[in-house]
Amino acid sequence: MDRARRRNDERPALRPVEFHILLSLTAGERHGYGIIQDIEARGETVVPDVGTMYRALARMLENGLIEAAVRRPAPEADDERRNYYRITDAGRRAAKTEARRLEMLMRAARIGGLLPKDTK
Amino acid sequence: MTVSERWFRLLLRFYPADFRDEMGDALVEAYRDRAQDVLRRGGTLRLAAVCVRALADSLRNGVGERLRPAISWRRSGDWGRDVEHAIRRLRRAPTLVLSTMATLGVGLGVSAVVYTVVQRVLIDPMPYKDPDDLYYVWRDYGPIADLKRGMLAGTDVVELQKAGGVIEQVVGLGRQLNTFSIGSESERIEIPVMFTSPALFDLLGVPPALGRAFAADEVGPGTSSVMVLTHELWNRLGADPEVIGREVRLNNRPYNVIGVLPRGFVFARNESAGPPQPADAFIPFRVLLEDANPRDGSYAGLIRARRGTTPEQLAAAVEAVGRTVDLRDFQGRGLRLYPVGLKSDLVAGVRPALVALALGGVFLVLAVMVNLASVLLARTAQREQELAVSRALGASGAAVARATLFEGALLGLGGGGVAALGGFWAVRALVALAPLDLPRREAIAVDGRIAGVAIAAGAVIGLLAALAPATWAARASLSSLLASSAVRGGGGHGRLRRGMVVTQVALSLVLLAAGGLVVRSFERLLRVNPGFRPEGVLSLWVRMPPEFFPEGKDVVALQDRIEQELAALPGVSGASATSVLPFSPRPLPAFHAASSYQTAITFPGAPGNRGDADRDAPLVDLVGARPTYFDVMGIRLLAGRGFDPARREDEALIDGALARQFFPTTSPIGAEVRIGDRPLTIVGVVRQPRLYDVHQDGRPQLFVRAEGFVRHQAFVLRTDRDPRALIPDVRLAIRRIDPRLVAAQIRPMQELIEGSLRRQRISAVLLSAFALGALLLAAMGLYAIVAGAVMRRRHELALRLVVGADHRALLRLVVREGATLVMLGVLIGAPGIYFAGRVIRGVLVGVAPLDPLTLISVAAGLGLVAMLSCYVPARRVLGIDPAQLLRQE
Repeated sequence: MDRARRRNDERPALRPVEFHILLSLTAGERHGYGIIQDIEARGETVVPDVGTMYRALARMLENGLIEAAVRRPAPEADDERRNYYRITDAGRRAAKTEARRLEMLMRAARIGGLLPKDTK
Repeated sequence: MTVSERWFRLLLRFYPADFRDEMGDALVEAYRDRAQDVLRRGGTLRLAAVCVRALADSLRNGVGERLRPAISWRRSGDWGRDVEHAIRRLRRAPTLVLSTMATLGVGLGVSAVVYTVVQRVLIDPMPYKDPDDLYYVWRDYGPIADLKRGMLAGTDVVELQKAGGVIEQVVGLGRQLNTFSIGSESERIEIPVMFTSPALFDLLGVPPALGRAFAADEVGPGTSSVMVLTHELWNRLGADPEVIGREVRLNNRPYNVIGVLPRGFVFARNESAGPPQPADAFIPFRVLLEDANPRDGSYAGLIRARRGTTPEQLAAAVEAVGRTVDLRDFQGRGLRLYPVGLKSDLVAGVRPALVALALGGVFLVLAVMVNLASVLLARTAQREQELAVSRALGASGAAVARATLFEGALLGLGGGGVAALGGFWAVRALVALAPLDLPRREAIAVDGRIAGVAIAAGAVIGLLAALAPATWAARASLSSLLASSAVRGGGGHGRLRRGMVVTQVALSLVLLAAGGLVVRSFERLLRVNPGFRPEGVLSLWVRMPPEFFPEGKDVVALQDRIEQELAALPGVSGASATSVLPFSPRPLPAFHAASSYQTAITFPGAPGNRGDADRDAPLVDLVGARPTYFDVMGIRLLAGRGFDPARREDEALIDGALARQFFPTTSPIGAEVRIGDRPLTIVGVVRQPRLYDVHQDGRPQLFVRAEGFVRHQAFVLRTDRDPRALIPDVRLAIRRIDPRLVAAQIRPMQELIEGSLRRQRISAVLLSAFALGALLLAAMGLYAIVAGAVMRRRHELALRLVVGADHRALLRLVVREGATLVMLGVLIGAPGIYFAGRVIRGVLVGVAPLDPLTLISVAAGLGLVAMLSCYVPARRVLGIDPAQLLRQE
C-alpha cells in the first residue's frame, strides 16, 4: 500500500523530449512537425528524430499528459489536415514540476560556480 | 502520394502494429512536413539526407518500441508482488500447470540426462593427475600385417622408457586380464587382475589411499608377490582397515596386499580391439619386459609426456622410437608406433553417438520451448478480454507484460525442478541400461551442478517462451479487442502461433529423420546373421588355473567330463566348447605353438599365394574348438567336414574368406596350413562366426582343436527350452564334477549379442523418444491451431453454409489451413535432415544418411499424424448449425 502510493507521488523526471513537447503545447495546440520546429527554434543542439518524438507522444497520450485535439487544416502547410495535440492539466502540472526542478538545479549550479552568479 | 511519402509509409513497418495504428499517420505527416521544408530550402540532396536519416530513425525507434515491454519491466519491477500474482493466477489453472510442467520436465529431464552423459564422458577430465599428458601407444603394422592398432611388444615398452626427452614416464600393461578366484573355498569370487609395470600409479599420479604403491624393484621373476586392490574390491572383501600386509590367495597362491586405491579410482586398460578392460586388483609383472619376444604384441603402452609437450612433439618422439624398433625387429619393413591421447582413445567409439544424442537433446529442448510459447500465447489470447479491461482500468502495458513473463518463468522454473528431480532417477536408469563398456560409466551421475543447470535452463526457457505472448499482451487494448471482435479476424497472435507450429513441424521432422535412421540401422543389426544361430544357446566359462590343476592330462579329462555332463542335462541337445566365445572379452591365449590368439599363418603351395611374404602370411584369429562346436553353435559348414572326434590334433578348419583368398579356384580340403612351423591339414571350410561386430566379418579365422591346449574354455550348450532355465542345473553340474571349478559368466548367447548392441540400442531408444516427443508437441500445436481457427471463424463458416457451401467443403477449407503449415514446416525442416544425417553418419550401420525408404516413411508418418491433428479438431465444423449460430448474434 505504502509502496504503491510512493510510486504514484514520485513521478520520474520528464525526459528532455517530453519537456520540450509540453513546453510547446503550453503555448497552444501544435501538430507534430510544429513541435519539432519549436524545439529547433529554441536553439536545442540535439533535435529529436521524428520517430523518437512520436514514441514520446504515444507514451504521454497514454499517461494523460497530453491529448489529441481535433484534426484540422494547418494554415502554414497549404491547409492540409494535421493531427494536433493539446496539453492536459496533468501535463501542465508535470511541466511546472519539471520547470521548478530545473530552476532548482540552475540555482545549485550557480552556487556551485558552474554558471556566472546573478545574471538575471 | 509522392515517392518520399511512400518511403515514410514503408518505414512504418518497423514499428509494431498497434503503434502504427495509433501514430502512423501523424508520423508520416511530420516526415512529410519536414521533407517539404527542406525541399523548399535546400533541394533534392537535402531531401535524400532526410530519407536516409528517417531510415535510421525508424530502425532505432521501431525496434525500441517493439522491445518496450521488456525494457520498461526492467525499469520498474516489483518482483514480490508480480510473483505473488503469477502464482495466484497459475493456481487457478492446474491443468495448464501440470501439463506444461510435465512437458518441460520430460523434455528438459531427458536433455539433462544426455547432457550429464556427454559432460562426464566427453568433457570432464579423467581423474588422474594432468590427464592431458597421458597417451597410449599402439603399433601400426603397416605393410607387414593387417593390424593398425596392435599392442606393443615388451621390448617396445623398454625402448620407449629409454627414449627420455618429452617422454617422461612409460609403463607397460599386460594384455592378459587374468581372472583369479579369491576368497575362501566356500565363497570364491572371480576378479579381473591387471599385470603392470610397477610405476603405474606414479604415472597416473594417484597414490593409494591405504598402504603404498609398488616399489621399482618389485618386478620380474623371483620377487615377492604383492598386490594393490581397488577400493571396490577392498569393500567386497570386508573393508578391513588392517588389510595392509595381509595375505590374500589368488588361485590358491599367496599375495601380500600392500595398498588400497582411493575410492572412485577406476582404471581401464584400452584394448587394441573391443571395449576397455577394467581391473579389480593390480600385480607387477613376473617377467622382465626386456626378455619378451619382440614380435609378440602383448602389452599396452601408457606414457606420460613432459608437461607442456604438444601432441605433435610427442608423436615425433614416439615415431622415432618406432623407427628404431622397425629397423631392429622388423628389418625396416614399415612398422610404426603412434600415440593417442588417453581420453580421446577411450571415448573414440562412443563420441559419434553422444554427439548425435546431444544435438537431439538440443532440438527437443527447442521443441519444448516453442510448445510452451504457443501454450502461453494461447492462454494470453484467452485472457484477451481480461487484459484489455485491465488495461482500460489503468494497468500499464508493462505490468501486463511483466505478469505474463513471470508466469512463463515460474512455469519454466517448476519444469526445471521436475527435470532435475527426474534427471537424478533417469540417469541411474540410463546407466543401468548403458553399455557396460560405455567409457567412464561409473562417473555418470546427476550432481547439484547439473540439477542447477536444468532448473536455470527451465527458467530461461520459460522466460524466452513468454517473451512473445508478453509483448503481445502488453499491446492488448480495449480498442484493438473491439476491432478484432468486430471483424472476427482474431488478434495479432495468429501469425505468431502459426509460425510456432511451422517451427515445431520442422524440428520434429529433423528429429524424426534422425531417429528413423538410427532405429532402422538398429533393426538391421538385430536381424543380421552373425554366422551362427544364437537362439537356444547358453554359454559359460570354466577356468582351470595351473595352481589347482597342474597336470595337463587332468585338464583334458575334466574338460571331456564337463562336456559329457552338460550334454546329458535334461533338455540339452548338445554341448561343446571353444577358446574364443563371440561377443565376449578376449580370453587367455594358451596354445603351445602360438602365444597369442592372433597369429600369422601360411598356406605353403596354395594357388592364392602371391609371392609377397607379408601378404601371404595373413594375421588370423586362432579359435580353439571341440569337435561338436560347429554343430552346437549352428555354424554353417561350407565345404569338407568338421573335426574328427578321434583326437586328430593336426586338423584345421578355415573360414570362407581364407578359402576365397588362397584357394580361389581349387578346393582347400586336404591342403596344408602352417602356424609358425606347425603343419596342419585343412579338413573343412566354415562360414565365419563373427566375434566382434554382428554386421561385419572380423579378421579371418583359423580353427584348431581346443582340447588340451586351452585351460580356460567357454562351454556352449544348445537347448530347445529357454536357456536361462538351465542355469541352476549347469551350476550344480560343474560343482559336482569338481568343487574347485566355478561356472562363470553363464549367459545366453542371445544376451551376449544384445549386449554388444547396447550402444546402438540406447541411441535408437533415446533418439526415437526425442523424435516422438517432438512429434507429439507438434501435433498438439497443430490441433490447437486448427481448433482455434474453427472457433474463431465459426461465424464466417456459418455464413458460408448459409450461402450454399456444404460441410465437406468447410472441412477441406479448415484442414487446408493446417496442411499449409505442415507443408511449410516440412520445407523448412528438409535441409535440416541433410545436416542431421551428416551428424549421425558415424552411428549408422548399413543405412545411408539419406536412406530414401526411411526418409519417405518418416515424412509419411509425420504427414499422417499432422493430418490427423488437423482433421480431428476440424470435424467440429460439422457441428456448426448456421441458423442457431447466427441467431445468437
